[in-house]
Amino acid sequence: MLSAATVHIATPAFDWHAFAPDLVLVATMVVVLVADLLLPDRESWRTSSIAAVGLLGALVPIATLVHSGHDRNLFNGAYVVDHYALALKAFFIIATYITVLLSVDYIREGDYYKGEFYFLLLVSTFGMSIMASSRDLISLFVALETISIPTFVLATFRKHDRASNEAGVKYYLIGVLSSALMLYGMSLIYGVTGATKLSDIAAYMSQHGTVPLVAVAMFLSLVGFAFKVSAVPFHFWAPDTYEGAPTPVTAFLSVASKAGGFVALINIVYFGFFLPNGRAADSWWPVLWVLAALSMTLGNLVALRQTNIVRMLAYSSVAQGGFMLVPFAAAGIAGADGHPGKAAAAMSAVVIYLLIYGAMNLGAFAVVIAVARRTRSAEISSYDGLWEIAPGLAVVMGIFLASLAGVPFFAGWFAKFVMFRAIIDAGTGWAIALGIIAAVNSVIAFFYYARPIRAMIFHAPTTEDRTPIVIPQPLFAAIALTVSVVVVVGIYPQVFARVGELAF
Amino acid sequence: MTEFYRQYLAVAVFVLAAFLMVGAMLGVARLLRPKVPQDEKYITYESGSDPLPLFGQMNVRYYIYALLFVIFDVEAVFIFPWAVNVEGLGWFGLVEMSAFVAVLLLGLAYVWRKGLLRWA
Repeated sequence: MLSAATVHIATPAFDWHAFAPDLVLVATMVVVLVADLLLPDRESWRTSSIAAVGLLGALVPIATLVHSGHDRNLFNGAYVVDHYALALKAFFIIATYITVLLSVDYIREGDYYKGEFYFLLLVSTFGMSIMASSRDLISLFVALETISIPTFVLATFRKHDRASNEAGVKYYLIGVLSSALMLYGMSLIYGVTGATKLSDIAAYMSQHGTVPLVAVAMFLSLVGFAFKVSAVPFHFWAPDTYEGAPTPVTAFLSVASKAGGFVALINIVYFGFFLPNGRAADSWWPVLWVLAALSMTLGNLVALRQTNIVRMLAYSSVAQGGFMLVPFAAAGIAGADGHPGKAAAAMSAVVIYLLIYGAMNLGAFAVVIAVARRTRSAEISSYDGLWEIAPGLAVVMGIFLASLAGVPFFAGWFAKFVMFRAIIDAGTGWAIALGIIAAVNSVIAFFYYARPIRAMIFHAPTTEDRTPIVIPQPLFAAIALTVSVVVVVGIYPQVFARVGELAF
Repeated sequence: MTEFYRQYLAVAVFVLAAFLMVGAMLGVARLLRPKVPQDEKYITYESGSDPLPLFGQMNVRYYIYALLFVIFDVEAVFIFPWAVNVEGLGWFGLVEMSAFVAVLLLGLAYVWRKGLLRWA
């Protein structure tokens, strides 16, 4: 029976400023949904403008929070707004903004539900924004589901296309499986430590050291996350989902959604099982080591054989995920060795890599969408002679691919540089071995990134049609934005290096 | 390093135990059970009654109604404990619950406006 006695709870002190970015996102979500209901069908594409304005609006409180300069703890430290969280919130919001730019004409011209598209995109972004601040297993899990569930629907957005339906169902089933594994791991963590808050878990770990059950729990959680970030051997859903989903959604999945998984991984592993002294790092770095090595190698080798550029970019994103895991594993190695300072530097390398990867991958997908507007194809052969038809697009695509390969002086080069620096800092045999695997893979990657470039320059165009490719303004803005980030960060890497340093 | 191997030994033992348990359950059952194959045993199990001969042509609208029902059912689950403690929670609780209900009502408005509540 319920007791009649009333429970008095203290009204929690609420820091509205700290919550402002999330609240702006929620308000935008509501406005988009209501606008979609009120506008006639012909006009409903205008919800994209509302979403875009709302996303830019959410950047304003982030700027003021950065300016105010001190870390904010809410709900007894379960929700933290510090530089790390703010940097990632800004990244997620800008990545979504670029996705909206990519989607506007794609969604407007196709037979899609328009308002819902932007609504779902915003819900997922809201989840990411919460994720960046979550320091508690429960809010972390809720944030991860908020990220994932809308993306399952987005993947099936080409309703009448079988491939798109397959993409969504595969993504959904894998998503549920990974959530189940992750929850199992989390429940074991709770069982051992008796805490869900990451700082409490960290305190327990530094006091008691790891027990074998923690290794089991971490193994299960990490496998769950490995599905989310499509690390080998849990990657098999990624190429099919990426190919079947609408291309702007693919761009979103491969950048924002993947980054969401990585941030979850950083939060749980670094804030829960590393701080304050790195004693618990032994329980997770070997798993990350194996995942990194497999993802890089298999992702690259399979990418070599692709003839479809979206599939190639899908495998490339698997491989890039592997590269991102390298400094992560290095941080664990350094931490277990007793060098928390070096580990923090390695973690900032993960964040820098994530930011740079976001810019160059979104850019590459923007060009794929632009080219597909004319050719209606994503085969690499459809890039034959692009240099003659659209020299501007060919140059930009060349820049993105070169950056993904890590050619100096584009941003991707700096990402690779911080990755190898983290390896050298960690310095143990295991770290060096991983570094060698990463170096070999960086060379392999050149071959498949070079193939579209070769097709664009040296192959003759397959059609006689020489009419220029018309790029709508939003798409042009997205390409301009990403290419300028890739070029500027390549020349002045200090911009992102500073962000990475502030974060840790 | 030895400490480290011992930890990962636990993972190996865990995985092995998982496979062994499933294997043992199926294997022991296979050894113990009598094997008398009959056609009836291959019919889909429907709690004892014969499975319906219908090849399920369900109206998809039931599905939408079921979904809506679940949403508002869950809403009730959240509102009950709040209603029991309304006085203790005070204004803060009231505002929080209003926000929650408002978001759900927005969902209802969406469904209504998209015409999903019409049985046509």
